[in-house]
Amino acid sequence: ENREAMLNSKSNRLTEALEEANRLFDGVCRAREAALDAQFLVIASNIGKEKANELHSEMSAFDSTAFAEDLLTFMGINRTEVEETDDSEDVPGGFLPSDAWQTMGEEALKYFRRAPTFHYMMGSFKSEPPVPKQRIERQKKASRGKAERAMPAQLKKMEESHQEATEKEVERILRILQTHFENDPNTPISFFDFVIDPNSFARTVENMFHVSFLIRDGLAKIKLDEDELPIIEPTKPSGGGEEDSRAGAGARNQVVISLDQKEWK
Amino acid sequence: QVSELVQFLLVKDQKKIPIKRADILKNVIREYRDAYSEIVNKAGRTLQEVFGLQLVEIDTKRHTYILINNLRRAEGEYLCRDKEKEKMGLLLVILSFIFMKGNSVKDSALWEFLHLLRVYPGKQHRVFGDVRKLVMEEFVRQKYLETTPIPLTDPPEFKYQWGPRAEKETSKKDVLTFVAKIQGKDPTFWASQYSEAGA
Repeated sequence: ENREAMLNSKSNRLTEALEEANRLFDGVCRAREAALDAQFLVIASNIGKEKANELHSEMSAFDSTAFAEDLLTFMGINRTEVEETDDSEDVPGGFLPSDAWQTMGEEALKYFRRAPTFHYMMGSFKSEPPVPKQRIERQKKASRGKAERAMPAQLKKMEESHQEATEKEVERILRILQTHFENDPNTPISFFDFVIDPNSFARTVENMFHVSFLIRDGLAKIKLDEDELPIIEPTKPSGGGEEDSRAGAGARNQVVISLDQKEWK
Repeated sequence: QVSELVQFLLVKDQKKIPIKRADILKNVIREYRDAYSEIVNKAGRTLQEVFGLQLVEIDTKRHTYILINNLRRAEGEYLCRDKEKEKMGLLLVILSFIFMKGNSVKDSALWEFLHLLRVYPGKQHRVFGDVRKLVMEEFVRQKYLETTPIPLTDPPEFKYQWGPRAEKETSKKDVLTFVAKIQGKDPTFWASQYSEAGA
């Protein structure tokens, strides 16, 4: 209590209190009272320390009220107009412009050696508190790097299997064609019946793709029937010479078939 | 590694919160721990030579760093956002008050002074918003101000002093110059502050 009163440099209250404590201590005969006395001494010495501090700062008296007024002046206060605020009772009148602190800031910057904040020009990640943000960025970069390294290895594997898949498909289609012919020789299959998958346009295109291999390799051939519709039949493995000439003849023909989704439907 | 650290430091410095060695080790240096001091030194040199910035360790026990500008601010060149400018204005005013009052002030004294400038802890400020938060949390976290509780006070009171960042980014001499300019007096007017500023 009465802390402020004791701090007042002009008061001797602290000294008086200490003197009284000394007198009282003579009458002490119980430990509890001695403890209270010790507590009092701690508080007293803290106050004493504060008083000493205040003495030091008063050496070159600094009038903070005058400083505040000069600051307001610097910030462009207009003292002729009265600001309509509810706390204008204890504040000197005057209108502080909205850029007051801007003005102060402009001046203030000259006194600081502040590192300009660094920002990416194009922006990178969403702005968030830097600590978690940095960790996320770093982790993303790290994991992305690893993912990319894994990718080329994977792709290579896919490519190889892709080739095999095509060959397998082609063989499969050949076998289907041959089986069909075994069951029903001399009846060529309509090309469209053969390749078209009524449920999938993509599958249809794939089938055509695979059939084209068969044609290229001379394992099947496409002819036009009486209705000018293409039919497909497997080529019979025959004598070398004949095959060669036929393969030779076949090889010179190219056909472009176009099929879009509407036609397919 | 060095350039990664340089980038890391530059981005981390955006909020002006000191950078911890633990974060540097975890995010940048990782497996190269043994080369830590070498990498940090080289990064420091790059920051200096390329950006004119100084990497300063403000806490040698807890190993925290800040970036400051090696170059004096030249007149009239600023690309600085308004919010930043205004905060620096308030900060300079606070630092001046603390220094001129003997390097340490009670929070009640500080708020009494800011009251005169129409800045109130309990009231939302048109420019600064929650000023109490700005002064007691943001400035303290950025190490511009340091706050210590005063023992045996109830309700607890605090005292404010300059923080390590303030010590590095400005000086008592600069601040005294500012006060003198504002008040239209010579710095020698305040004799003890003048001698303390080592001017």
